[in-house]
Amino acid sequence: MNPTDDTNGNGIIFNIQKYSVHDGPGIRTVVFLKGCPLRCEWCSNPESQATRIQLAYNTGRCLGLSQCVRCVEMCLSGAISRGEDERIVIDRALCAECTRDCTSVCPSNALITYGVRRTVREVLRTVEQDSLFYARSGGGMTLSGGEPLMQGDFALALLREARKRRIGTAVETCGHVQWETLDEACRLTRTLLFDLKHVDPARHEAGTGVTSTLILENFRRVMEHHPKLHVMVRTPVIPGFNDDEAAISAILDVLAPYPHVEYSLLPYHRLGTQKYHFLGREAPMGEVKLDDKRMASLSRLVAARRG
Amino acid sequence: MRNPECCEVMTPHEQRLFDKMEGKEDRFRAGHSRVFTILESFEGLRPRIDVERAKYFTESMRATEGQPLVLRWAKAMRHIAENISVYIDDHQLLAGRAGAQGRYGILYPELDGDFLGLAIEDLPKRTESPFTITPEDARVVVDEIAPFWKGKTYHESLNLALPADVHKLTYDDPEGLHSRFIVNETSSFRSSIQWVHDYEKVLKKGFGGLKQEALEKLAALDPLSPADNCEKRPFLEAVTIVCDAMAIWARRHAALAREKAGVETNATRKAELLTMADICERVPEHPARTFHEAVQSQWFTQMFSRIEQKTGTIVSNGRMDQYLYPFYEKDMAEGRLTEDSALELIECMWVGMAQFIDLYISPTGGAFNEGYAHWEAVTVGGQTTDGRDATNDLTYLFLKSKREFPLHYPDLAARIHSRAPERYLWEVAETIKDGSGFPKLINDEEIIPLYVSKGATFEEAYDYAVSGCTEARMPNRDTYTSGGAYINFAAALEMVLYNGRMKKYGVADLGEHTGDPCEFKSWDDLWNAYVAQHKLFLKTAFMQQHIINNLRARHFAQPMGSTLHDLCMKHCLDLHTPQIPEGINLGYFEYIGYGTVVDSLAALKKVVFEDKTLTMAEVIEALECNFEGKEDVRQILRNAPCYGNNDDYADTIARDIDQLSVEYGARYSKDLGMHNDVRYVPFTSHVPFGKVVSATPNGRKAWSPLSDGSSASHGADVNGPTAVLLSNFSSKNYGYRSRAARMLNIKFTPKCLEGDDGTQKLVSFIRTFCDLKLWHVQFNVINRETLLAAQRDPEKYRNLIVRIAGYSAYFVDLSPDLQNDLIARTEHGTM
Repeated sequence: MNPTDDTNGNGIIFNIQKYSVHDGPGIRTVVFLKGCPLRCEWCSNPESQATRIQLAYNTGRCLGLSQCVRCVEMCLSGAISRGEDERIVIDRALCAECTRDCTSVCPSNALITYGVRRTVREVLRTVEQDSLFYARSGGGMTLSGGEPLMQGDFALALLREARKRRIGTAVETCGHVQWETLDEACRLTRTLLFDLKHVDPARHEAGTGVTSTLILENFRRVMEHHPKLHVMVRTPVIPGFNDDEAAISAILDVLAPYPHVEYSLLPYHRLGTQKYHFLGREAPMGEVKLDDKRMASLSRLVAARRG
Repeated sequence: MRNPECCEVMTPHEQRLFDKMEGKEDRFRAGHSRVFTILESFEGLRPRIDVERAKYFTESMRATEGQPLVLRWAKAMRHIAENISVYIDDHQLLAGRAGAQGRYGILYPELDGDFLGLAIEDLPKRTESPFTITPEDARVVVDEIAPFWKGKTYHESLNLALPADVHKLTYDDPEGLHSRFIVNETSSFRSSIQWVHDYEKVLKKGFGGLKQEALEKLAALDPLSPADNCEKRPFLEAVTIVCDAMAIWARRHAALAREKAGVETNATRKAELLTMADICERVPEHPARTFHEAVQSQWFTQMFSRIEQKTGTIVSNGRMDQYLYPFYEKDMAEGRLTEDSALELIECMWVGMAQFIDLYISPTGGAFNEGYAHWEAVTVGGQTTDGRDATNDLTYLFLKSKREFPLHYPDLAARIHSRAPERYLWEVAETIKDGSGFPKLINDEEIIPLYVSKGATFEEAYDYAVSGCTEARMPNRDTYTSGGAYINFAAALEMVLYNGRMKKYGVADLGEHTGDPCEFKSWDDLWNAYVAQHKLFLKTAFMQQHIINNLRARHFAQPMGSTLHDLCMKHCLDLHTPQIPEGINLGYFEYIGYGTVVDSLAALKKVVFEDKTLTMAEVIEALECNFEGKEDVRQILRNAPCYGNNDDYADTIARDIDQLSVEYGARYSKDLGMHNDVRYVPFTSHVPFGKVVSATPNGRKAWSPLSDGSSASHGADVNGPTAVLLSNFSSKNYGYRSRAARMLNIKFTPKCLEGDDGTQKLVSFIRTFCDLKLWHVQFNVINRETLLAAQRDPEKYRNLIVRIAGYSAYFVDLSPDLQNDLIARTEHGTM
């Protein structure tokens, strides 16, 4: 094999989503890489957090034990057993070591795995199907996650192969990654979507599990080393975490020296809640909702400061 | 994935509905108060049947028996023009109705009069598109009209002419009153496929000028030639008679306008009525001089065309932004017209169209055209006859009208080509975003080369006009074709599973005996069985068409339509003549249930023959009990590869199926002397067709709707709208010219298209559609929540316009079945 050819390199992704119109310029395909160094309470993609492949169970789709017991019969490790209300119970600790594919026998896709190993070539073959749409719209491929740069070699190989196939790229990052990886990604990508969630290190740690220090440092270095890169900064507005003027103002202060950077707020939503349940977890944020008036006033603040 | 809440953006169309509920005035009402007032006078009223057209037509036909048909028809038209009630509506600036005030439909007993007795009882009770009729009118129908046509109607002739093997797949009873919904003939309720006239000819020459041409031709006939005397003379005399009829009818409106002006106390209205009187005295007999005259002349022509004959889906309007533009330009330059007054005139036309209902009295016709569907397509944009971009100020005015005046008529069609200006596409996208589903898009890059390959010149092909739902017509080169067969290929699939039988029809042997499917050893065995049933259906459809083509000319003539056609005038032949020299006869047959069949075959291939997860016997057992207690089997089948996802597995099967049809069309169209090409445009027929098909191996439950047009099965297109377009492309056979329209519906949530950025993305999407050389696409921009709310509370949502299968209708006019069908379609939000 040619040592510079890394198209056989592979990584774990959990989705490829066509016609994405909120993740960078134009019409895009988003490749979701699994694994994230943060544990945001509000995460709308809980399946993205662990790097490993995970079993998920959608009770709403399950036909019920009186109709179908295929998975129970398939499971030799005892991880899947009969529960109440027609549903199965999964002991995820027993599951971890098993290699039998119990999801393949599920008729209704109630039992699925989050995560699949794919080569760079396989991913790009799918991404390239929509190349005509990218050409017409200035779109392309967006790497998202999780934190796509956590699978650094795989992410960079995807970016290189996309460049070879003349597909525009964007990378969404939480910023909490090795500088060398981020630096190389900035060289390869056309657009960088950088999340700034909170400036205060302690508040950041309380909400995400890590401090803001490395993130802010990486952001500064991106600005310094890649001054011409198209950068879009985004802040998910989370109730009780950063939905106040002080928090957003502090982020605006960080951005103040960089007028060319696009900035937007993303209102918190609860559409990920179901997926926590599929993974056997409770959604940490519960039923909390973002206050519309607060959101509107923060949007006005941003509009006033960024023009 | 960063997903905003799905319903936070409302389309302008939705916003208006909510405003209306809160009692706010429509924000565009102030700028369009005349047409809003007219609209409010009939909105939501149940349509009534007006019998005058049928009554005077019958009177005249009774008196002319034995004469050449075209001459009889012309005399009947003159008799109608002289006697039918004429109306000038309050506030209207245009004169000309084909029937009573309010929403109305008219009857064509020559076509399907044998249904009349049944229909008069049934129509008011019908759940799909009901009508009312007064007791006196009902008496006229039963006592005066129906008896004359007994044994003479086209439908009765056709019913008798079909050989037994064709009849059994066509009709469910010996009289042919009910369809089998297998190989469904449409000619007996549509008479023609669709049509569009060369209106420009009327505007430039007037019917007086056209009559003069006929008189000159009459004078030039060989006085000793039997052919000239027996064939050409009656035709040309018929032309002169209908030209007179047009002038008579228009002048009666002039007289009425003057009479009304005489008693009008409001000075402004009095002046309007006097202007209308002057205009109706001039047009359509003479050439139009102003924009107002041109619009009136066109309106008289299309309304009289409706009186002359039933045209499938109503006669279309052609390239209005082209033929009206010289009048608009001149009036604007000379200060006679403003943008607002031009808008008001054309909207007076739209609101007139909205009152004419395409009445289908046969139950089959009603089921095909739910929601009072009609398609008087107005074409905008596209290219000039020498291949330049054709957009002009009127193009933009039509688009503006569609955004500001919430009416589902006319059916606006925007031609798209590779050099379409950005402003045009931007305004098209903004209009689509408005949420009423308009305009539909038709692709020059597919149609023009295809039509040239079918024998048109470039000039003719560049000048095509959209007609009906998705068809394209060349008004002086196309010749008339009867409505083609709508073929239920999901029934062919069912016959594969039950060895030539269908659950709905019990032990009747309808299809080929392709054997016990449980004995099939391989995918090839299954495929070959499908091919055998498919070909039987095609053979049946082509035999039907062959019979229809020859039968039609004995029952119908269209002297006015023929007057407007270059080739008819040149050869002195009525447009219904089966073969007109130099003409190109563009017909089609319809593939219904494409997604259903592709997904079913893909599921059987994958699940039974490749993965061997289920046996054929297990699948059939589940189908026979409509998946009762077999939900696991249904889920396994449903999760097999589906068409509409840019997945080669399913798309290859889709292309192979398409190829069966284009190959057959290429081979046997010659026998019919026409292009009988495959098309994928169901109107709303995928619902009644679904009602005869039991459970299918794609997991579809028995009797539920089939997939529509070339769209994916409901909910099967899970990869978003780009994949839908690419599957459509992949499943076409571009090497064959025997293809026709493919209808494609895509639904967006407003959030996807929000703001200028959203508009830009829609423009890019449209440009890619153009690059892919797909025929047609239309967009539904709506929230599912809105549809559900409308279903719960129809009264509040009676003006909710939605897109279904090539047209818009009021949502609340649809049957619950079709409402559910619409809601079930996958929404392409980025959820």
